[in-house]
Amino acid sequence: MASVLTNPLRVGLRQERVIPPQCLVIFGASGDLTHRKLVPALFELYRQRRLPSEFAVVGCARRPWSDEEFRSRMAAAMASVISEHPTAWQRFASSLFYEPADLSDPATIVQLGQRLESIDRQCATRGNRTFYLSVSPAFYGSGCRALAAAGLLADADRSRVVIEKPFGRDYGSAQELNRVVQTCAKENQIFRIDHYLGKETVQNILVLRFANTIFEPIWNRNYISNVQITAAETVGVEERAGYYETSGALRDMVQNHLTQLLALTAMEAPGRFDPESMRNEKAKLLQAARLANEEEPWKCCVRGQYSSGGSRISPTAGYRQEPGVNPNSTTETYVAMKLFINNWRWQGVPFYLRTGKRLPKRVSEVVLTFREAPVHLFDAAGGSPTVNQLILRIQPDEGAEFRFEVKAPGSGMRSRPVDMAFSYDDSFGEPSDEGYVRLLADAMLSDPTLYTRSDEVEAAWRLYTPLLELIEDSPWQLPVQPYETGTWGPAAADSLLADDGLVWRRP
Amino acid sequence: MSAQLTLQAPIALPPEQVSSYLDQLWQQDLEGPAGAATFTLVVWEGSWLEQQLVRCGRVDGPITGLVSPQLLTAARDCVGDCNLPLSTAPLDPKLAWRLGEWQGNHQAEDLRGQFVSGAISAYMPRRLLTLAPTLDASRPLETLVAAYCPLPEDGSTGSACGDVVVLRGGMDAQQQGLALIQPLIRADLPCWVWWNSSLDEAPEMLEKLAPPPRRLVVDTSLGSPRRCLEILVQRIDAGQAINDLNWLRLRSWRESLAMVFDPPARRDALVHVVQLDIDVEGHHPVKGLLLAAWIADRLGWHLVGSYEVPGDGTGPGIGAEFERADGQTVQFRLMPVPVGVPKTHPGALVGLRLICQRSDGRPLCVILCSESGGCMRLESGGMASMELAEDVVPLPNESEEMELARLLSGGHDSTNPLLAAAAPLAAKLLPS
Repeated sequence: MASVLTNPLRVGLRQERVIPPQCLVIFGASGDLTHRKLVPALFELYRQRRLPSEFAVVGCARRPWSDEEFRSRMAAAMASVISEHPTAWQRFASSLFYEPADLSDPATIVQLGQRLESIDRQCATRGNRTFYLSVSPAFYGSGCRALAAAGLLADADRSRVVIEKPFGRDYGSAQELNRVVQTCAKENQIFRIDHYLGKETVQNILVLRFANTIFEPIWNRNYISNVQITAAETVGVEERAGYYETSGALRDMVQNHLTQLLALTAMEAPGRFDPESMRNEKAKLLQAARLANEEEPWKCCVRGQYSSGGSRISPTAGYRQEPGVNPNSTTETYVAMKLFINNWRWQGVPFYLRTGKRLPKRVSEVVLTFREAPVHLFDAAGGSPTVNQLILRIQPDEGAEFRFEVKAPGSGMRSRPVDMAFSYDDSFGEPSDEGYVRLLADAMLSDPTLYTRSDEVEAAWRLYTPLLELIEDSPWQLPVQPYETGTWGPAAADSLLADDGLVWRRP
Repeated sequence: MSAQLTLQAPIALPPEQVSSYLDQLWQQDLEGPAGAATFTLVVWEGSWLEQQLVRCGRVDGPITGLVSPQLLTAARDCVGDCNLPLSTAPLDPKLAWRLGEWQGNHQAEDLRGQFVSGAISAYMPRRLLTLAPTLDASRPLETLVAAYCPLPEDGSTGSACGDVVVLRGGMDAQQQGLALIQPLIRADLPCWVWWNSSLDEAPEMLEKLAPPPRRLVVDTSLGSPRRCLEILVQRIDAGQAINDLNWLRLRSWRESLAMVFDPPARRDALVHVVQLDIDVEGHHPVKGLLLAAWIADRLGWHLVGSYEVPGDGTGPGIGAEFERADGQTVQFRLMPVPVGVPKTHPGALVGLRLICQRSDGRPLCVILCSESGGCMRLESGGMASMELAEDVVPLPNESEEMELARLLSGGHDSTNPLLAAAAPLAAKLLPS
């Protein structure tokens, strides 16, 4: 949107909680996530004056960088942001430190502990430490063990560890990883991050549902005929082929982001907005969810893989032609599936999930389609009346939209659909923070409400176990079907809904 | 959130034994549970209205220091009986003073300091020190001590114990108790001092109880407007963290006004404000002045001068002229209006009107009204040609203790910068 004058009356109205003195230790500091998301999010918190003056960031990786080199690398990666706030960066950068450390080498972790004690004294961070594991998933377990062995997780009140996704590869490995990290730290010290939960629009699902009285009475099987959850990307695999080849869309997007959207959309109202109440409800929901056909999962799921496309002038490569991808890869870049939730609220209501790369539009949304009116009294302009839909737009064009029938002007009584729209831009006009800003602040505040608990993660993996086993054991039953770049996925995905007399919403 | 009583019945001790008893309590009796490493909360708990209503037989005891619905009903009933204007708020200190002239000698148990609001106990104060002055000015000092382990309402086990100390007695006894208080305030924990009474009373006590760096909490709706604003300004100038419950109660007004200008299409109107009107209940202007000062500060207005304006039978109002950044003038009026059922605190807001004379469009008139009061005066006259944005400001309906708990949970060790900017300007708006 066009830039607008800031609302001067809005400044300072939010009563933010104060982050206690803190040392944030980032493992994988030489990686992409650190300079692309983590340090920018911390700088944003600094500019919003939400970081305490007693604060330090310690970057850790194998490379033998110095503090100065770490600072200058971060500065180079964030040049455009820093150019707007050079003075603030200078002050913030003095809180950045670097310590070479290798999670697989216990001696370096012991050495890191000594450096942290020195930084504690220098920056008065009082032993409050948040360890962020932005490393290969293979190091999550051993990393926690190394931290625990060095005594860095011993203080359950003052130390915590943030673990990036993916948390496990399947139900069994997630259980095992949970077991390992829980021997190293208490559950309240473990923060399993899903950056989708940091998005304003994702959190807004809760507010929309539970701060209004009009939605909850109709938010059930009596009024809702089906729910569609879409997360579409226009980009391909880009530089992540190495990781993506071992994960695919099911592990990369569905098991975490889409499943969190599913949980927030369908969960029961928590008794209070606190970490345990919230996560209890999400876990209960996921435990009640199941594939529409667990016996024959290939009948309720479609996998796809993008093939080449684009125009003659700017052709785009197919997935198998991407650098780093096996030319015979059977990794899916698209998944669509149908789920049911076995509880009183949702029995019989299909939930359709889809995600894919190289689709026509970058869009994430949740669409609740209501049942048809029982009697059609009026002629509909489109032949038959359009069913009511509530569309929660997660990104972009963040907001919500409600579609309903009105009388078309004229002498007759013809109806036609109109949209009533709420847009974050039009109503607030302020860009919302990156998800990492909120989530990093919450971790440092020891607030796990927007983080995933062990039973939630396991329930999410268990939900997709029949599919994962099928792909592992008899992939020919669920082959990847090619779809042309820039289309909405393979035709079979349309059939998935067509069998139920439905179509995907065109975002 | 219900109030919680102390774990054990408080023990009355000679003042000189309090300190050693507490040491023993922590070393022996409370060996198991961890002491909360949180903060000390010192409360000056005047509760004059409650004490007077009990003495006159208008409410039953015990005296708790909490503002209950029964207390408010009894106070409202007494306003007319005391020949005070109907606009007098039930917590207006004038009512307590007037009740002091009534006959009566009813007695009730005094549980001040032992009856801890659940909102506050949730934050597990390490030590709660309550000074409970009595109506009988000559009453000697009594000191009561108890251990205190809050029971979390959610059934969790994550609570840590603290202790409560109550100093009860007349004003002389309270002076004597000051010497006892100082060593009981732990230097290694933050200390909040809540002056839960009129700011007109016991100024020396306030000075001694709340030197920097203790974090002071006051309520500028209680006390003479000038004294209230002076205290705010003095403490802000001294760099002390001061919090004002009256300012916090403006939250819903500030939020409602900000919401009007959240849509980008309305933002531009903010630089074209030409008139600001605020109506308040009764004759206590501080809340209205703080709101006006916040708006002026946020919009970068410069105060040219303020003056008294005649009211229509309800007393004088306050007028002022501001200059905008572009040199244009903004007129401000704050008027007292009579109300039949005033809100709990003196000077509650009735309505706000902001008129913006946009250069390239219809003028915008923003009217915010309190839910119960309505604001007919602000809605009258000459607005047919303007774009109207009207809203009702929801009543926060939160107790003093909940407001205080919000402060404690925030943990801020400095004055809110918005209050720090608004208070000096509000003081200047009060005509001399």
